[in-house]
Amino acid sequence: MKTKTMKLSVLGLAALMTGIISCGKKDNPTPTPQASLSVTDSIQVPFSSTAPYTLYSFKDSSVVPNSDSASLKWDFGIRFVNIIVNSHASGPGNAGVITQTGTYDTFPSAPETGYAYDTTSTKTAIDAGYTTGWYTYDPTNPNHPFFPNAGEFFVFKTADNHYVKMEILSVGYLPFTGQVPVTLIYKFRYTYQADGSRNF
Amino acid sequence: MLKKLRYIVLVLVIFDHSASAQMKTDSLARVLDEVVVTATRTENKVSNIPLPIQVISAKNIRFSGSQKLIDILQMQTGLVIANNPLGTALQGYPNPFGDGIQMQGLDPAYTLILVNGEPLIGRNAGILNLGRIAVGNIKQIEIIRGPATCLYGSDALAGVINIITENPVKNSLNLQTHYATNNTLGLTVAGTIIEKKTALELFLNRYSSDGYDLDKNIYGKTIDPFIDYSASAKLTYNISDKNKLTLSGRYFSEKQFNNYLIYPQSEPEIVKGTTSETDGSLFARFDHKVNTAFNYTASVYTTSYSNNAAVYLKKNDSLYEKIQLTDFLLRPEIQVNVGKDPAALFVAGAGYNFETVNSTRYSSYKELNAWYAFVQKQIQLKGKTNIIMGARFDKNSLYPAQLSPKLAVAYKIKSNFILKGSIGAGFKAPDFRQQFLNFSNSLIGYTILGAHELGHGLQMLQKTGQINPDININPYLHPYELSPEKSIGINAGFDYTINSHAVFKVNFFRNDISNLIETYNLPFNKTNNQSIFSYMNLDKVFTEGIEANFSYNFNHNFSLFGGYQYLIAKDKKVLQQIKDGKMYKRDPDTYVTSLVTKSEYKGLYNRSRNTANLRFQYNNLMYKANAFITAKYRGSYGFSGLNGFQNGSGVYTDDRESVKGFVLLNATISKQIATHWEVQGGVENILNYKNPLLMPNIYGRTYFINVNFKLEK
Repeated sequence: MKTKTMKLSVLGLAALMTGIISCGKKDNPTPTPQASLSVTDSIQVPFSSTAPYTLYSFKDSSVVPNSDSASLKWDFGIRFVNIIVNSHASGPGNAGVITQTGTYDTFPSAPETGYAYDTTSTKTAIDAGYTTGWYTYDPTNPNHPFFPNAGEFFVFKTADNHYVKMEILSVGYLPFTGQVPVTLIYKFRYTYQADGSRNF
Repeated sequence: MLKKLRYIVLVLVIFDHSASAQMKTDSLARVLDEVVVTATRTENKVSNIPLPIQVISAKNIRFSGSQKLIDILQMQTGLVIANNPLGTALQGYPNPFGDGIQMQGLDPAYTLILVNGEPLIGRNAGILNLGRIAVGNIKQIEIIRGPATCLYGSDALAGVINIITENPVKNSLNLQTHYATNNTLGLTVAGTIIEKKTALELFLNRYSSDGYDLDKNIYGKTIDPFIDYSASAKLTYNISDKNKLTLSGRYFSEKQFNNYLIYPQSEPEIVKGTTSETDGSLFARFDHKVNTAFNYTASVYTTSYSNNAAVYLKKNDSLYEKIQLTDFLLRPEIQVNVGKDPAALFVAGAGYNFETVNSTRYSSYKELNAWYAFVQKQIQLKGKTNIIMGARFDKNSLYPAQLSPKLAVAYKIKSNFILKGSIGAGFKAPDFRQQFLNFSNSLIGYTILGAHELGHGLQMLQKTGQINPDININPYLHPYELSPEKSIGINAGFDYTINSHAVFKVNFFRNDISNLIETYNLPFNKTNNQSIFSYMNLDKVFTEGIEANFSYNFNHNFSLFGGYQYLIAKDKKVLQQIKDGKMYKRDPDTYVTSLVTKSEYKGLYNRSRNTANLRFQYNNLMYKANAFITAKYRGSYGFSGLNGFQNGSGVYTDDRESVKGFVLLNATISKQIATHWEVQGGVENILNYKNPLLMPNIYGRTYFINVNFKLEK
């Protein structure tokens, strides 16, 4: 059986802090059943640790309005350095996540078990600690250098039992003049298994 | 954050009394056998010391016409200016930390800076503003590479830079006027009066500059205008042949005029204000020769440093931010020297440090008490072998006691070929910031707590509702006891006197540093979801390399000096991760992830693998003129996040993070124009190297002229 892979082009420069970073525009994917969807996307997130989470749906490759936070429409959410999954304390779903070490490209299939959940709002499945988390960020440096650690990506089991591998590629900022950035730009890629298979 | 001076200040090089003396003694023998005090705490000839030691003479400082100690130091082999990486990223915002000297690949915090054997206090993020040290009355600068903790205690891991000021030896009066680019004006008066058994030396200097602006697109100057005043006095009184009293004092003050943009909200505001730095010390020493084989010195040193900054919003003159730091040290010390032969002395000493610090960023006034004792034995065997054995014990109220031994051996294979080797332990005490900081960033909201402040700080945060009441902070209430950062340093090499004109010296070095203090985040956040940071002993690094120096004196009036350093500096944790196959990188263009290999890892950021320097000096007796040319090459080095590059590894593996090497070239011409008068003109940074973002301390090409007057009787 042939697997159709869709590559979606996204604007958005990899280079951080060059000042010209635009938000991704993409065609609306129309995944047929039994397809695996490979997407590179970027989303804008407020540089704030108190703003609402920016929610995202793998299936639709789009940001989900916050009014839908109590639904199964979203899979993960980002607020500053924190990432939540739609489960337990964070949402009504049953989504889980594994923080995986290795190379994203060659990672063959999602494990059957071992997924972590957002047990409480302060103890989430994805470790976002400054020295222990998935990223490196220096708040004391005025340039706010921020990058996802290489060799780390996530394997999701979505609210509706689909498997996704997702890697955050870069974190940048919209140009800012003050001491603190205003908007983060998260660029990430993922492969979504529309047929429920665990193989990527 | 307020500006502290990075561009150092200083004082003028005056045409001092050592000038004529040096003309007569400037020979090869002198190069080899200068008398130094730093290596053993007693006067010793360089040839008797089995350690890598370098002496920068007053003559070199004077010929260079240089006004800034940091500029003199950075022209020496293996010494480079290290900007605090934080400072370099500020882009026009005042740099609070300034620049220091990196030695043997170690950061400025790991080199002890002494003036006449006594430490300066008041480091900011480990960096001491070298502008506080006036250049005009320096007799010589002694640099020891390798741990010297066995004699001097904390901070002497990479080594020691000891600034020795002039001793009053004859009646003299020196005046200097200095004028340079950026309306930089220096005025110096120095005088010595000898009256029977009493000798007094006075030194006064005023130095000011308009600063400069390297980027017109950023509001405010890169270096703000400043005025410095320095004064020092030294009084010696020979009570009798056997007893001598020395009193000295030093004072420095700097006022910097700040004017920059801040962003209290999204709209910028102009703030104006001043940053004042004041540093003073008093020193009293009594020397008593009991007999020819036994003498002792008793001394008391006290010093105080303060930094006060206040900036006001321009629109309504209201106070925007005020930062204040005061640091005080009182140190009585006694030292006993036993033996007749200066190369075979037994030295023992003990002292007590009483230090206090008070800062707006610490929760309260803090006291630190420590006592220490040291012993050292020098041995000379058959005139061929010199050995130094020593150890020091430090007991501090805040961290575990430290024992720091050292062994150094030199062996003369032939009279012109000496092998040298030494091994020693060094430590660096946790600094005040790492112990006591209690700082919450008002803009982003994170909090940093010093290790000693952690429990108290967490309680306060929870009490004020900044930490959720259901978070259990109990495990953190017992303060984490930071240990000093420790090192083992090995130096080995040789001094080879090729002939009566040429000397070649080589030194291999290796420093293994452990217990490096790093920040970490607590496993819970504040209610604003921001992290709480504290400090912990974590990392291990090493630096190693080889340093070579060559000097050639064509004759008394024509000499050449060259130096080179090859350096490797790496993080041992990173090496282990590479070995374990856990260190990845992600290409920022292709997003291909791969393992970092051992050969790809280039080492710590901000270390140049290659540095080299040249110095050329020519005296023309007929025209009473002198030419002095120095050059320094700093090879390529890594800078984290250069041009926005990130490959997710956090370590230096990619040439896209390499800063290109550069050369600084300076030239000075001096000419005597009348019996007591000399004129000097010079150009610094002739090649006009600039890198405003990474090297804001370099303005570009600058010019200066000095007029010197000297009278001796």
